[in-house]
Amino acid sequence: MSDIFTLGIDVGSTASKCIIMRNGEEIVAKSLIDVGAGTSGPQRAIEAVLEDAGMKKEDMAYTLATGYGRTSLMDGIADKQMSELSCHAKGASFLFPNVHTVIDIGGQDVKVLHIDNGAMTNFQMNDKCAAGTGRFLDVMARVLEVKVEDLGRLGAMSKKKVGISSTCTVFAESEVISQLSMGTDKCDIIDGIHRSVAHRVTGLAHRIGVVPDVVMTGGVAQNTGVVKALQEELGCPIKTSPLTQYNGALGAALLAWQAASRRR
Amino acid sequence: MSINALLDEFKGKAATPKQQLAEYKAQGKKVIGVLPYFAPEELVYAAGMVPMGIWGSNTKTISRAKEYCATFYCTIAQLALEMLLDGTMDGLDGIITPTICDTLRPMSQNYRVSMGDKMKVIFLAHPQNRFEDFGLQFCVDQYNHVKADLEEVCGHKIEDAAIQDAIRVYNKSRAARREFVKLASEHCDVITPTLRSAVLKAFFFMEKPAYTAKLEELNAELKKLPVCDWQGTKVVTSGIICDNPKLLEIFEENHIAIAADDVAHESRAFRVDAPEDEKDPVMALAKQFANQDYDVLLYDPKSSENRRADFVVNMVKESGAQGLVLFMQQFCDPEEMEYPYLKKALNDAGIPHIKLGIDQQMRDFGQASTAIQAFADVLELQK
Repeated sequence: MSDIFTLGIDVGSTASKCIIMRNGEEIVAKSLIDVGAGTSGPQRAIEAVLEDAGMKKEDMAYTLATGYGRTSLMDGIADKQMSELSCHAKGASFLFPNVHTVIDIGGQDVKVLHIDNGAMTNFQMNDKCAAGTGRFLDVMARVLEVKVEDLGRLGAMSKKKVGISSTCTVFAESEVISQLSMGTDKCDIIDGIHRSVAHRVTGLAHRIGVVPDVVMTGGVAQNTGVVKALQEELGCPIKTSPLTQYNGALGAALLAWQAASRRR
Repeated sequence: MSINALLDEFKGKAATPKQQLAEYKAQGKKVIGVLPYFAPEELVYAAGMVPMGIWGSNTKTISRAKEYCATFYCTIAQLALEMLLDGTMDGLDGIITPTICDTLRPMSQNYRVSMGDKMKVIFLAHPQNRFEDFGLQFCVDQYNHVKADLEEVCGHKIEDAAIQDAIRVYNKSRAARREFVKLASEHCDVITPTLRSAVLKAFFFMEKPAYTAKLEELNAELKKLPVCDWQGTKVVTSGIICDNPKLLEIFEENHIAIAADDVAHESRAFRVDAPEDEKDPVMALAKQFANQDYDVLLYDPKSSENRRADFVVNMVKESGAQGLVLFMQQFCDPEEMEYPYLKKALNDAGIPHIKLGIDQQMRDFGQASTAIQAFADVLELQK
C-alpha cells in the first residue's frame, strides 16, 4: 500500500506553521513563517513545507487547517478546518502519550485542555484580554528593548524579585516603564513578567483542574522563564517539546491522516 | 403559508422594531416600551396600547448613555438607554422600568431623568418575598400603580374584563411559544438556532394576537414534518439573552442545535401562565409573578438546596442535549454569582459546558467561534 501524506496548517495570530506527515506516524517536513492570519504567511509556509519535502500540494491526501485564520484556507487550500484546541490535544497526545493537561499559550490567547485517552474532554480559554499571552510578552520585550526570544535567558539572570501586575497588559506596561525609570535591573523585571504570566495562566488552569502529565505547547513554551515560573506556580513538572510551536500543525496533520484513512 | 414564508416573516419582524414602531404610530396606536424583566405587559395590552420589548441592540454602540451610566452596567441596560436617547425609540408614549436587579434599579432613575417630559416613565418594583400574602399584596399595589400610569397615557380606565382578556391572550401566546420550543428541537434541521431566536424575538415587537396566530400556524406546519434524524449535537442554552445572529450562526456551522433553553429573553419569559379564574385580574398577574421560579433574578428561600442548578441539569438530561452553553453577559452580577453553583451541578452530573463571555457591542466572534467549534468536538464524545 502506498504512503499517505497529509498536511497540517496552523494559521495563528502571529505565525503560520505547517507540517507534512507520512502515514500519521512520521514528520516529513515542517515550516514556520513569522506572520499569521491575514498575511502572506500561510501561503509562504505551505510553499516552504512543500519545498522542504520535495513534494507538490497534489501529493497531499488530505489538508487540514487550524488556528485563528483557519477559515481563510477553506477556499480551495484545505479539505477541512478544525479548532486549534482539538489539534493541540491531538499533537500533544502524539508527542506525550501520557498527557492529561495541555497548556497552550499562543500569540493572542491561552487555552488549557484536559485530555483523557488522547481526546479532549474539557477546556478553558482566556477571556478577551491579552494578559498572559504571547502578545503580552511581545509588548514587554519592546518596552525593555530586548528580543522576545532572549526573555528566558535574561530572566534566568535575575537576582531580585520584582512584582508585576497580572491584570492588564496596558497597566503592566506602565509598571515596567515605572520600574525602568527607577533603575530596576531588566533581568529582575523580566523574571517578574514571567511570574506574572504564570500566575495568570495558573488561575485559568485551576478552573478545570491540573492532572499530570502537564504539557505546554505554543510559541511561549519556548520561553524557559515562563515554563519555570509556571512549574513553580502549579507545583508540578511541565513537559515541552522542540516542536512546541508546531504542535497545532502536528495535530492538524494527524487529524488529516485520520480523515484521509476514513476516505479510503 | 409555507414554513419558509412564515420564518421569513418572523425574521423580518425580529430585525425591524423601529419600522414596526413607526407603523403602529402611523395607525394611531399608542406604544409602550417594556424593559426587562417580568413587567405585566398584559396591562399595556388591556389598555389598548402596543407593548414593545426593549432588550438592547446588537447593532449600536454605547455613546450618549455613558453620560448616565456606570461602566459596570450591562450593555442591555445601557443600549436600551442609548436607543431612548438617540431617537430610535422617539415614537414611544411611555416605558415601564422594572427594577429586579442591581443594575436595573438605578437605571430606572437614569431613564426617568434622561427622558424628562419626552415620555411617561413608569417605575415598577417587584417584591422580593413574592409568595407570602404581603408579597402578593405589594405586587398588586405596584401593578395598580403601573395600571394608573398607563391609564394616564391611554386616557381611559383599564377595565377588569380587558385585563382578563389580556391574560387569556398572553397565556395563549406563552403556550404557543412553549410548544414551538419543543418543536424547534424535534425539527432542528429546519429551525436552526438563528431562526429559533428570530421567531422568539419577534414576540417582543409584534402585536400579540397576530404573533400567536402566525406561531400557531408555524407550529401546525412543523407538526406535519417527520421528527428529524439529527446527526449533529444538541445543547441547552442559558443566560440573559443570546439573540446575535452572527454568534448563533457559529452553532449552525458546527452542527450544534438548541434542544431547550434557560434564557431570560426566551423560555424564562414564558414558562409561567397567569391564572384565568382569579376574581381580581391584577392579583392573577401578581400570582403569575409569584409562581416564577428557577431564575437567577428571583429570591429563592431554599437557595441552599441549589434547586435552580438542578432544574437546569434536568433540562439538559430531559431535552436530550449533550451539553450546555452559558452566555455570560458582561457585568451581569446575578448570572456571575449563580455560575459556581450551576458549574458544580453540571460537573457533578457529568454534563460538559462552556461559558461564553458576551456583550451586545461584540462585533468579532473569532474567539467564540474557536470555543464553540472545540466544544462541538467535546460533545461528539458524549453521543
